[in-house]
Amino acid sequence: MRVAVLGCGGMGHVHAQSFAGMADAELVGVCDIDAELAGELASKTGTRAFCSFADMLEETDPQVISIALPSYLHKQAVLEAAEAGKHVICEKPVALSLEDTDEIIEACRRNGVRLFVGHVVRFFPEYEQVRRQIKEGRIGEPGVAHTKRVGGHPGIARGWFKDHAKSGGVIVDMMIHDIDFMRWIWGEVKSVYAMNACKDDSDYALVTLEFANGAAANLEAHWGDPGPFRYAAEISGSAGLIRLDSAASASLHVRTRAQAERDGRFAEIPQSPGVLSPYDRELAHFLACVRDGAVPLVTAEDAREALRIALAALESIQTGKVVLL
Amino acid sequence: MKKLKVGLISFAHGHAYSYLASLAAMPEVEIVGIADESQSRVASIVERTGLPYYADYRELLATDADAIVICSENVHHARHAIAAAEARKHVLCEKPLGISVSEMERMIAAARDNGVQLMTAFPCRYLPAVTGAKAAIERGDIGDIVAVKGTNHGTNPGGWFTDRALSGGGALLDHTVHVMDLLNWMIGSEVKEVYGYAASRFGETKIDDAGLVHVKFAGGAFAVIDTSWSRPKSFPTWGDVTMEIIGTKGSISVDGFAQKNEVYSDLAGKGSWSYWGDDMDRLMIESFVGSLLEGRPVPITGEDGLRSAAVALAAYESAKLGQPVAL
Repeated sequence: MRVAVLGCGGMGHVHAQSFAGMADAELVGVCDIDAELAGELASKTGTRAFCSFADMLEETDPQVISIALPSYLHKQAVLEAAEAGKHVICEKPVALSLEDTDEIIEACRRNGVRLFVGHVVRFFPEYEQVRRQIKEGRIGEPGVAHTKRVGGHPGIARGWFKDHAKSGGVIVDMMIHDIDFMRWIWGEVKSVYAMNACKDDSDYALVTLEFANGAAANLEAHWGDPGPFRYAAEISGSAGLIRLDSAASASLHVRTRAQAERDGRFAEIPQSPGVLSPYDRELAHFLACVRDGAVPLVTAEDAREALRIALAALESIQTGKVVLL
Repeated sequence: MKKLKVGLISFAHGHAYSYLASLAAMPEVEIVGIADESQSRVASIVERTGLPYYADYRELLATDADAIVICSENVHHARHAIAAAEARKHVLCEKPLGISVSEMERMIAAARDNGVQLMTAFPCRYLPAVTGAKAAIERGDIGDIVAVKGTNHGTNPGGWFTDRALSGGGALLDHTVHVMDLLNWMIGSEVKEVYGYAASRFGETKIDDAGLVHVKFAGGAFAVIDTSWSRPKSFPTWGDVTMEIIGTKGSISVDGFAQKNEVYSDLAGKGSWSYWGDDMDRLMIESFVGSLLEGRPVPITGEDGLRSAAVALAAYESAKLGQPVAL
């Protein structure tokens, strides 16, 4: 399958390197308006670099476009790809408004191309295991859940994250992973209440979801946490609970003397390595769905619903009220 | 040595056992008796300690006790505390202080009018991780507090706790107040708005065993607390007290009972966490006794108890309305 990647930032690197390592995928090109970024990624992955999306479409004739642009550029890119008859993989959030999302979904439908949205948490083995064990009834009926996703502020390296008109902020951009995960395990959400403090280099949110089944979850997300990036969840039910914690399951710690001499301390990077990364699993799954026409593990409608809940959280922050969905 | 004479009313709440043990270990305390309407509940303690037993708490109040520790069912706190105050006894009352704002106001007034002190039993203030966090906040380590995510998870305590006629409420009342007191103490600003979720999710009991409480403070900070009795029987410990405190210049994580060993015993049939940190109940009792002997104000007042319980009561109202309520 011929795949091209649009956007050569952090996620673009992840996508391109993942496709480059797949036996049944051919990375035919990478594109970024920043020629240097595109060139760098192209040489890392052994493919061609482009500065123009139109040129890349024209010259490489990909079957699938993987879009890893800043969120506010998703719509334009998906529409162009769909019009060109290419299947689309788009990073989350699919868009920043429901209107744009509907336009995206409709354009893909009209052009007969598939649309996949990168809610990658569904491809993390620890979250997948939680979902499976809940479905097996291991913890009984849904009770109260917590999710946590915190790390440094991405806006310090890439300014557009700090502009909510471009990124949506910490809820729409990052907590949306956990919103999607909670819907995956507990089903539809009936109400949303949210609190947020956003100032300078910190965007912190606490969002409580009540589900149609009567259970509730409190989701925490922070851009600007002083510690390393980490995530955790605790799902409690009438017969038990399940906890996951990225910090606790880091299986590899590398400590080097060189780092210690440079930083004045034994800095260490905790890792949780696996044969395939969650992105490898996700992108391979999407390509398999293109190949055999299967329904993906996470649909465009799932992505739309996660966005709808995230936008309801923003409305709750504005009004101070509970928003009923 | 000047001794403080202390009596205990009711062993309905299990904390009475630990408070008694702490009192018994203090040479400056003389325990003058135990009152409990249920003789069988305290029979083994009376036998073991040889302490005087009173079926009627008023007989205990007629002794020369200086102070009374109240661990009755929540709905009896007000009656016992007001009677003790009127008998000119200082009072340490188990949390929640009461089940309505008006009765807690009467408890506070009774203590004030009779010149005695009323302390609310919030031992979590004495967890070393909590006092360390408070000190770090006061030093300005994390700047101003922006938000806090707290938990006070527990196991369903059963018995009268799940009988609204005796407890006045379920997990939301039982487990809002500890962390809410810590928030009031650390943030030092009035709660102005409360949103609550309360439901019965974890077992046979009809009373609420699942709870989430959001609060907004006048100063702009906000917080959420999970109050649920959500720890299953298979969990390695009874519950937790945790706080993630987000400040303008950093953050603080408190895990009050993290000082533990992990024990795996075939005798128990499951793994367990065995806490080895300082005993918060003992530290609280020592603080109560020390304050009274030295004539200082008790460190945690009736007003503190009222402030926290009022949030839990507002959370029930909010849960019923499905919208936040002003406090």
